[in-house]
Amino acid sequence: MQAPVAGAGGEVRGGRIGPYAVLRRLDDETRGLPVPERRFIGRSADGDRTVLVGVPLPGADPARFLAEAEASRYLLGPWSAPAAEVAAPGGAPWHARPYVPVIPLPGALAVHGGPLPERTVRALGAALVETLVIGHGQGLAHAGVSPGAVLLAADGPRLTCFGAVRAAAPDGAARSGLPGLESGSLPPEQADGGSPQPMGDVYALGATLAYAATGHTVPEREELPAALRSVLTACLARDPAARPRPAELLDALVPRTAEPAPGGPADQGRPALGPDAHGDPAGRAAAALGPGWLPGRIIAALARQSAELLATNAPVPPAAPQD
Amino acid sequence: MPSPLTHDDPAALGPYRLIARLGSGGMGTVYLGRSPGGRTLALKTMHARIATQTEFRTRFRLESDAARVIGGRHGAQVVDADPLAETPWMATEYVIGPPLDEAVALAGPLPETTVRALGAALCGALGQLHRSDVVHRDLKPSNIMVTAYGPKVIDFGIARALGDDRLTHTGAAVGTPAFMSPEQATGQEHTPAGDVFALAGVLVFAATGRGPFGDGRPADLLYRVRYAEPDLTGVPAALAGVLARCLAKDPADRPDTEWLATQLQDGTGDFADRLPDPVLAEIGRRANEVWQVVPQRLPAPPDQPATVPSAEVPAPSGPSRRGLLMAGAGSVLGVAGAGAGVWAWLSGGGPAPGPTGPYEKPKPGPSVSALKKKKLDSLWQIQTGGTEDEESPAAPFMPGDAAVLLAPTQLYRIDPASGAVTWTADIDGTWQVASDGRNVYQNVRVAHYEHGSAFPSTVSRYLSRVDLTTGKAGKHLAEVTDPQFGGIDSQLLAVAGGTAYLAISLGKVKEYLRQNPWAVTAVDLATGSRRWTERLAFRSQKSDRNHFLAATVVGDRLLLLQERNDGTVRIVVRDTRTGKVDWDRPWDGIEPAAARQPLTADGGHLYLGSGRLRALRLSDGRQTWAAPAGTVHGVPLLKDGVVYAVQQGRGLVGTDARSGKPRWAEKGGDGARASLTSRPVIGSRCAYTYHADEGALRAIDRATRTTARLYKANGDRFTAQERGKVILASGKHFLAAFPLQ
Repeated sequence: MQAPVAGAGGEVRGGRIGPYAVLRRLDDETRGLPVPERRFIGRSADGDRTVLVGVPLPGADPARFLAEAEASRYLLGPWSAPAAEVAAPGGAPWHARPYVPVIPLPGALAVHGGPLPERTVRALGAALVETLVIGHGQGLAHAGVSPGAVLLAADGPRLTCFGAVRAAAPDGAARSGLPGLESGSLPPEQADGGSPQPMGDVYALGATLAYAATGHTVPEREELPAALRSVLTACLARDPAARPRPAELLDALVPRTAEPAPGGPADQGRPALGPDAHGDPAGRAAAALGPGWLPGRIIAALARQSAELLATNAPVPPAAPQD
Repeated sequence: MPSPLTHDDPAALGPYRLIARLGSGGMGTVYLGRSPGGRTLALKTMHARIATQTEFRTRFRLESDAARVIGGRHGAQVVDADPLAETPWMATEYVIGPPLDEAVALAGPLPETTVRALGAALCGALGQLHRSDVVHRDLKPSNIMVTAYGPKVIDFGIARALGDDRLTHTGAAVGTPAFMSPEQATGQEHTPAGDVFALAGVLVFAATGRGPFGDGRPADLLYRVRYAEPDLTGVPAALAGVLARCLAKDPADRPDTEWLATQLQDGTGDFADRLPDPVLAEIGRRANEVWQVVPQRLPAPPDQPATVPSAEVPAPSGPSRRGLLMAGAGSVLGVAGAGAGVWAWLSGGGPAPGPTGPYEKPKPGPSVSALKKKKLDSLWQIQTGGTEDEESPAAPFMPGDAAVLLAPTQLYRIDPASGAVTWTADIDGTWQVASDGRNVYQNVRVAHYEHGSAFPSTVSRYLSRVDLTTGKAGKHLAEVTDPQFGGIDSQLLAVAGGTAYLAISLGKVKEYLRQNPWAVTAVDLATGSRRWTERLAFRSQKSDRNHFLAATVVGDRLLLLQERNDGTVRIVVRDTRTGKVDWDRPWDGIEPAAARQPLTADGGHLYLGSGRLRALRLSDGRQTWAAPAGTVHGVPLLKDGVVYAVQQGRGLVGTDARSGKPRWAEKGGDGARASLTSRPVIGSRCAYTYHADEGALRAIDRATRTTARLYKANGDRFTAQERGKVILASGKHFLAAFPLQ
């Protein structure tokens, strides 16, 4: 059995966050990539609810952290990660959502032993584009897409760290090099202090998918899979207006028809399309997440995490009353 | 798929709160449970009413011991157990992955690399068991969970320590015919080499989607396991030779698990990388699903009290219609085991509750297709046990007022008036039970072990009369086995006039039974002595095999239908006084399966249908009469000197048994589509034929010769219980009654 991580520093005192006993850290392996919050797996005192909990990095502004957590409650779509619970104002900040077995994208590359297959990158990209489009339709720029923000579950990704860029520093202040922000996926206009806009999410997504396909957020052009080279390069354009629209990006990742992806040769990595893949974009992403979208070792790691947490007993709650 | 708790499930077992059901079967229920610290586990329980029997409690404890022996790498890690609780329970890890049969259903035949990886890992699992002197005895696809890190072997319901005779008793053949070893199929001890045989069968299944001996009725399967070469069609060539060795009939010719593992291994690499995508996706789905379970409990159904003693179920007065009465026998159904980590909680050894047992709604599992809840025009219906691949029950016996149904591994005594199950009793197989019309007799197996020995020092068989009041096998009337004659392997053919007729293997078992000669013998039930023993032709691979499809005694003659290994059927008639063959002739053009019907004969003739209807003289086998050339009849029934049979395209006709002249025929044309495979039933006012296409039992007025009425019905065999004035319709997992007029 995995020993629970108790007192893992910072605000996590006595192995507890809010009402939850901490079972373990989520980010065992981020391969040196910054993550804008510290994430744990916790469990309620009655043992019935296991949650993913996030707390701010030491030194971060708790109010900005909580404001973004509060806004994330309204996120929609199967692959977003809205907070289900947020700490009361005034106390130590945290937010929580129901647990599903997940591995952060950098951890997935570590488990897989290198860059992910093109099919995985395409399916992942399609689900993330769709998630961003839903947010944009609600008037919410995500402003926190990075490799560390993407969690992989068996049924698709979960996009976390909503508002990390806004939380890191107010608009107008330069954000380069701030703790928790991964420089390669920080859009240049946001690094300079600009207010996060939807096209900034496209840049960050391009960097994140490049990471999935190569292991770097700032890859050499040649490293990218040939079929994805032009579209990912376009996402990383310095000029937001030169970046592809989300719909174009989706078309490039999950082509509408059975023809080869634009700009690429006939392509074995192209995901299978479902019957309704030609109309509704949601259907296209869901179809791309069918059997085979994740490599075996990542599924195995998810199953192991699930089994280990099923087998984990939370430490006995302290004798002092909780409320 | 976890499902909510029901209103009568316990709140907790030991320190574990129950949060959902994972599956349920005849022996017990498997729950998802949680420790105070939120550790989530699978909790396997045994029904308290079964646990009152020491034998089953011992079996439960042995199972938890075996599960501990295999450990968490090759099995489900045992966390806790209380075999002494009122409801004994065992807590294990929740295993994430589908059972192998589901994996093959999802992904189709598995690639060679997957089969090799599975096989090598299973060799490790079996090796670990065998080193601890435990044999599994029931390795099969549904007992192997495919996780991302390798297979896990579960369900040790019948595994036991080698030489442990605490559970040795007469009773059902254990194991699953499709993956059983030949020695297990013949009732001998199943050793580690038997597990190797089963493992090879499992790997053939993984590689092709079917077992090496196909499927079908258990009796046929057992026969093929013992005598037929395995079918390795579709197995990758590099594996076929290795698996064929493991499927050798003689245990001594099979390799051990260590050697097999070296043959199967093909390099290194993660197990998960060798799994096909649909299996991986299923593992991922199950890894997620268990976290979505919200503790939930269903309310008690408003229209149904919590428990209804079946004795208080009102008996119908007259031919009233009742809804579907699920008898207590439902408890022998298979397991509703879609959830991960659910054991195929074996039903074979489970006793059905007695008449005062609580009424329990059966839960048909994936192995049993739910009985179609069609409204039938039946007086009553019950669902009987068994799994999908088991055979339909043979025609029920009607000794006296009772009806005794032969399910593959159990007898059911049924009250023809109400459908109430008076008792059930374990049997070795339908071929070990016979009736002389007044009593039911059973060929009972008893094994004795020297202390510490893996093999039984003696295996004996005795003939007993089944007590029709209790279902218990009575005192030993005669020993079938003895030092001189052997007879370990035997088939009870018929009982008549105080004499039992059996086919037995002769000689002590030194080598595999196939090398033993066989004989037909007559045993006097009053004295226990053998009246005669007549050798059968020696049976080698090439020679005719002895496989009895039907047997009956008429006067001084024993009538036998024997299947030959070329698929033909012979009629053999012996003198019951001497055992000598009076005559022997082929029955051309009949399929062995179609010949499995009660024989129709009187003192003078044997009447054959299933083709052109004809009469063979019992004295010499010559044909006395035959229906006109070109006519085809179904299975005949003799009543008052008239042979009744459905004539294809025409309907029910009666033929004078002596002369072969037409005596009676229905009119109106309704009978054109009557089934040929179901025997007609003749009552005093009406005759009955079954129409499978329409799902109807049709009553024909014998006087007007036209259809009197149609009953919505279902079944393979229709048998009159004349004293009870009912027609019993039996089919797979099914018995129903219709009025006999």
